Amino acid sequence: MAVRRKLIKERVPTPERPAEERIHDFKEVNLGYTFELAVKEAERCLQCPANYAPCIKGCPVHINIPGFIGKLVEYRDDPDKAVKEALKVIWACNSLPATTGRVCPQEDQCEMNCVMGKVGDKINIGKLERFVADYAREKGIDEELLFEMVPKIEKKGQKVAIIGAGPAGLTAAGELAKLGYDVTIYEALHEPGGVLMYGIPEFRLPKSIVESEIDKLRKLGVKILTDHIVGKTVTIEELLEEYDAVFIGSGAGTPRLINAPGINLNGIYTANEFLTRVNLMKAYLFPEYDTPVKVGKRVIVIGAGNTAMDAARSARRFGAEVIIAYRRGEEDVSARIEEVEHAKEEGIKFEYFINPVEFIGDENGNVKAVKFEKMKPLDERDKRGKRKIVGTGEYVTIEADTVIIAIGKHPNRLIINTPGLKVERGRIVVDENMMTSIPGVFAGGDAIRGEATVILAMGDGRRAAKAIHEYLTKKREGKENA
Amino acid sequence: MYRILEKKELAPKHIMYRIEAPHVARKVQPGQFVIVRAFPNGERIPLTPVMWDREEGWIVLITFVRGKTTMRMANELKPGDSILNVAGPLGNPAPIEKFGRVLAVGLSAGIVEVFPIAKALQEAGNDVTTLHVAPAPMAILKDEFTESVSRHIFEGFEIQEGWGTKEIVAEIARRGAEKVKELLSEENFDFVLTVGPAGAQKAVFNVVKEFGIPMHADLHPIMVDGTGMCGSCRVTVGGEVKFACIDGPGFDAYKVDWDELIHRVGFYTDLEKRALEEYLKSLRGE
Repeated sequence: MAVRRKLIKERVPTPERPAEERIHDFKEVNLGYTFELAVKEAERCLQCPANYAPCIKGCPVHINIPGFIGKLVEYRDDPDKAVKEALKVIWACNSLPATTGRVCPQEDQCEMNCVMGKVGDKINIGKLERFVADYAREKGIDEELLFEMVPKIEKKGQKVAIIGAGPAGLTAAGELAKLGYDVTIYEALHEPGGVLMYGIPEFRLPKSIVESEIDKLRKLGVKILTDHIVGKTVTIEELLEEYDAVFIGSGAGTPRLINAPGINLNGIYTANEFLTRVNLMKAYLFPEYDTPVKVGKRVIVIGAGNTAMDAARSARRFGAEVIIAYRRGEEDVSARIEEVEHAKEEGIKFEYFINPVEFIGDENGNVKAVKFEKMKPLDERDKRGKRKIVGTGEYVTIEADTVIIAIGKHPNRLIINTPGLKVERGRIVVDENMMTSIPGVFAGGDAIRGEATVILAMGDGRRAAKAIHEYLTKKREGKENA
Repeated sequence: MYRILEKKELAPKHIMYRIEAPHVARKVQPGQFVIVRAFPNGERIPLTPVMWDREEGWIVLITFVRGKTTMRMANELKPGDSILNVAGPLGNPAPIEKFGRVLAVGLSAGIVEVFPIAKALQEAGNDVTTLHVAPAPMAILKDEFTESVSRHIFEGFEIQEGWGTKEIVAEIARRGAEKVKELLSEENFDFVLTVGPAGAQKAVFNVVKEFGIPMHADLHPIMVDGTGMCGSCRVTVGGEVKFACIDGPGFDAYKVDWDELIHRVGFYTDLEKRALEEYLKSLRGE
């Protein structure tokens, strides 16, 4: 019998560290729910049936959202049991909930269609997902669940190689391991995680949490080979000799540069280099950590996506004055609203409608200013729905001793140069089953999309895992019948 | 984790490590490099496999002790220990073609990178002369070169009292340019190759340019990942921005913007000095 609930219109807030405190360190900004707060928020959910629930449709990996939220309410008197049951529901579709709960743009995904939005605030699905994962990790509940799951996995006797340990590869690996395949990930860097480790800063996604989520994949039997650069250490051709299928999740790691004089002056970083030094190499702890980074007194970040926000907020934590320079206007900013607001709270300034045309250096080859052309919007829109802009012929010069370029990334060249691999505009081409032009080789994430989001990459990883499973099932049955 | 099978001091500040790294040994070609991370809080540094055995699965790296990381490796790593990460092979192989008479120049520790390339060029039918310019006590790999190429020349000099790194590097540049000028004036060469500090390579290039001989230079910009994802190692070659880790590390010396490269390699000098000073202090127990 359905229980009639009173509508609670307002979202239960999650505590956040105040801006004036958090700009001095790299510790997490949002502190997340406690069990009591989580249950209070969970109670607001109207429990739409799973075959209808619009939130599930909005989630790229289709987590049964009312299902896991319902468990928190159902077992409210036994927090451990509540979290264990909720985690079981989430894990059926998502192996990295502590990560996605933190970094997904929920406002464009699961929360976008939440029916509660018609009468009040949408359910805070991301923070509830994060709560379940965090509580489970702190109490060892996730280990308990793994311990129960692993012995039940039936080995298929087939091997799959995954290229890249980012969100797409990790998701595909997790799904395939649960299905009983022998999975090995080839990762070029010294740590798995991809953009979760080198790109997204500690204050949004603590690295210890990513490490712990990846450790769970290892316990599912996934092997990870770091320091292996596919295309150099081993080729896709060689992988196909040893493995029954291959998944390419190599991402979009090549930074785009601005074709303007002075781009190679000292003090000009790509966002990828800056964030890799800060996040992966922990240069904010120099000299305790050996990797250096230089942040001047005034930093200009060029671009207005999530990467630009991450770079700007990281630079702010070194004590710099930070300006985000964007060639379009405020309404065109592509970063998440939450990130833009956090950046503003932290004192980062925004300059709109300016486009860099020259980087000006001093006599020692260090950058000292950026010359911008002032832009203006037109009524026309481009393919992505953004306003077109044109130069006005007027210029403005802004002084800075550090410049960070965050205008986007391309898929990695080492992979896309594989003979026989069909590529269009630098992106790997796949069919409706995520298979590339090479039979048995699948691909997903930024390698096929260009620069997109963590959760879309995970969605691709999950879809590819299903397609690989179908492909390998046929292969297996074909062999048995032969 | 990659086990150190052997460690030896070849000359002052020059340490040889033979390391188990089958994934690199199987594939590496002359001119390619690896990225090494030796300690949990360590940085990633580019080094070059000098020798390797594909069957036995080992590579030889020779470090020149110039800062904190290389000094820590020299002080703290013993045979039997492991290096955390050896990623590679990275970069493009050097051009191994039949050029004719080749002069391969190793400026200071750059000589270790010359070795595999010079050896391969000789094996490809070239008549290779190698030249090593360095302070006298730092003559290394003499026997190996003598066995592998037509002729090996060591141009050594004494370090004068009061000289620091700056003066030593200036002397390497001066002597290198002078010796190359002498060789090119007296003999005919078809191809020149250099490895070493950017300033010294530029000095040699300025001489080679006068003779109009094709020249290949292995560049040493600052690297982080070594796989083309950050652009720390970007250089201007022929007016275009290139990433040395995936487009190089070797380039046509005539197309390189040498002054820009010299500026860029010095960007972290102050922080490098600080890291080393703090490490030395910790060694003294301060």
